[in-house]
Amino acid sequence: MIDILQYGFMQRAFLVGILLAVIIPCIGVIVVFKRLSLIGDALSHTSLAGVAIGLILGINPIIGAMAACLFAAFGIEAIRKKIPRYSELSIAIVLSVGVGLAGVLSGFVKNAATFNSFLFGSIVAISDFETGLVVGISVLVLLSFIFLYKELFYIAFDEQAAALSGVPVRLVNTIFTILTAITVSVASRTVGALIVSSLMVVPVATAMVMAKSYKQTVIWSILCAVTATLIGLFTSYYAQLKPGGTIVLTAVALFLLALLVKRLRQILRAVRMKGAANEPT
Amino acid sequence: MPAECAIEVKDLSFGYSDVLLMDRVSFCVNRGDFAAVIGSNGTGKSTLIKLLLGLLIPANGEIFLMGEALSSFHRFPKIGYVPQNSGSSAGTFPATAEEIVLSSLYSQIGFLKIPGRQHKKIVLDALNRVGMQPYAHSLISELSGGQQQRVMLARVLVNDPEILLLDEPTVGIDVGAVASLMEILHRLNIDRKVTILMVTHDLSHVAQYLNRVLCLSDRNFAEDTIPQELIVHAHAASHELPHGHVHCAACEEPHDAQQCAVCSHAHEGGEQHD
Repeated sequence: MIDILQYGFMQRAFLVGILLAVIIPCIGVIVVFKRLSLIGDALSHTSLAGVAIGLILGINPIIGAMAACLFAAFGIEAIRKKIPRYSELSIAIVLSVGVGLAGVLSGFVKNAATFNSFLFGSIVAISDFETGLVVGISVLVLLSFIFLYKELFYIAFDEQAAALSGVPVRLVNTIFTILTAITVSVASRTVGALIVSSLMVVPVATAMVMAKSYKQTVIWSILCAVTATLIGLFTSYYAQLKPGGTIVLTAVALFLLALLVKRLRQILRAVRMKGAANEPT
Repeated sequence: MPAECAIEVKDLSFGYSDVLLMDRVSFCVNRGDFAAVIGSNGTGKSTLIKLLLGLLIPANGEIFLMGEALSSFHRFPKIGYVPQNSGSSAGTFPATAEEIVLSSLYSQIGFLKIPGRQHKKIVLDALNRVGMQPYAHSLISELSGGQQQRVMLARVLVNDPEILLLDEPTVGIDVGAVASLMEILHRLNIDRKVTILMVTHDLSHVAQYLNRVLCLSDRNFAEDTIPQELIVHAHAASHELPHGHVHCAACEEPHDAQQCAVCSHAHEGGEQHD
């Protein structure tokens, strides 16, 4: 366990991995409860188009990804308002634009390896600049999530009532959209564009199996994501696997484990009740 | 006149894409009234509530809440709105009764502020008033329909509302739960002088608590009479009510029993379906 941490790149991988595992589920909880689970997919695919633009123009691909994500996120919000009853359509439309653009633009990228590294991420090969970016964004997202905790909960639970109570719904939604976009773009570089959306949703699903309140759901989501990241990074290092994919598969394994534990508990409770009923009085 | 009216509507017209749903509706719900809005499906009962809250914009007419024009009205926390199926629409959202009620305290806590102990106390008091304090830490999805509805009521009670607007609060809950819900509303009406306007199909179980029934039929909102036996019920309870008698006049046209029959038939038809 010690030797893995003597390498600078692994220390950085752990730092970045844990920070992302804390902030991605914070975004994910709200996304899931707003019934927009696939927004991460749409944004991360669009971030690939931004990466391609960045590589073509010779600017930092993360900056390109961030710009593309912001465009995509506000695009989704705008379309969602136009067709509120079918809000998932807005995600599908932006997803299509993102994938289409990324596909076409990737043909113009000279260094295909760099572009591919964004698909599945390269958490063990991130620069100081990127580490700093992740730290900065993590602090921003965490503080926003703490201070907007009740506003985000209220909007996710009942947007109309929140508006009537005087919550500045549009402002909070805008802030949340920006946070989602920057989180996805920075995470697509590290854990990979194809994987970030899973990390946004799977730990929340696991938490929902176990939690007995909204607060517990948030805490469990973060714990699940951090656990999956730690197990995933260790496993990938020792078994020579790709870290991004290993982290997500671990998260899915935790979800299945949670389902199994819940089922076993139900069976146990049923057996106990049956036993109690059969006992002679 | 406006000072007496908790809710006053003047010449209100509203329609969805060229179809006129309401045509020059006027009425006044007095402070302290416990009023029901009845009428067959599609006559715009829920629409009326949304118009009162400013969630829909009328084509014409004016609305006053507690004497203040809706356009300049800002004290919405003082208007407790419980939408249709609000309890069950929470679905599997993993939130406890306490968390849901606490969210409604927003106007008292403030933007970016973190709720303190005193806010939690207000929440528990509100849950206590609807008999749900023992379930404060239960997930909303694990409660029965009647219990969910009471949590949704506690959610608006934390702000000490002056007016309650309830959209079909008795739908989907059993008779016993309807009775206890109505008893809670009755106490709010009597003890705290809360004005209540309630959309309902279920007049037979609630009539004894009402002092006023507004009958919505075919575009025109006629404040009208109700079936004879229900008037008797309402009268029987009315001696406790601050505003006394059953109010069933005020339609500008001559009193028309046949028009009331439209409502009562719709009501009976609805009951048979149940």
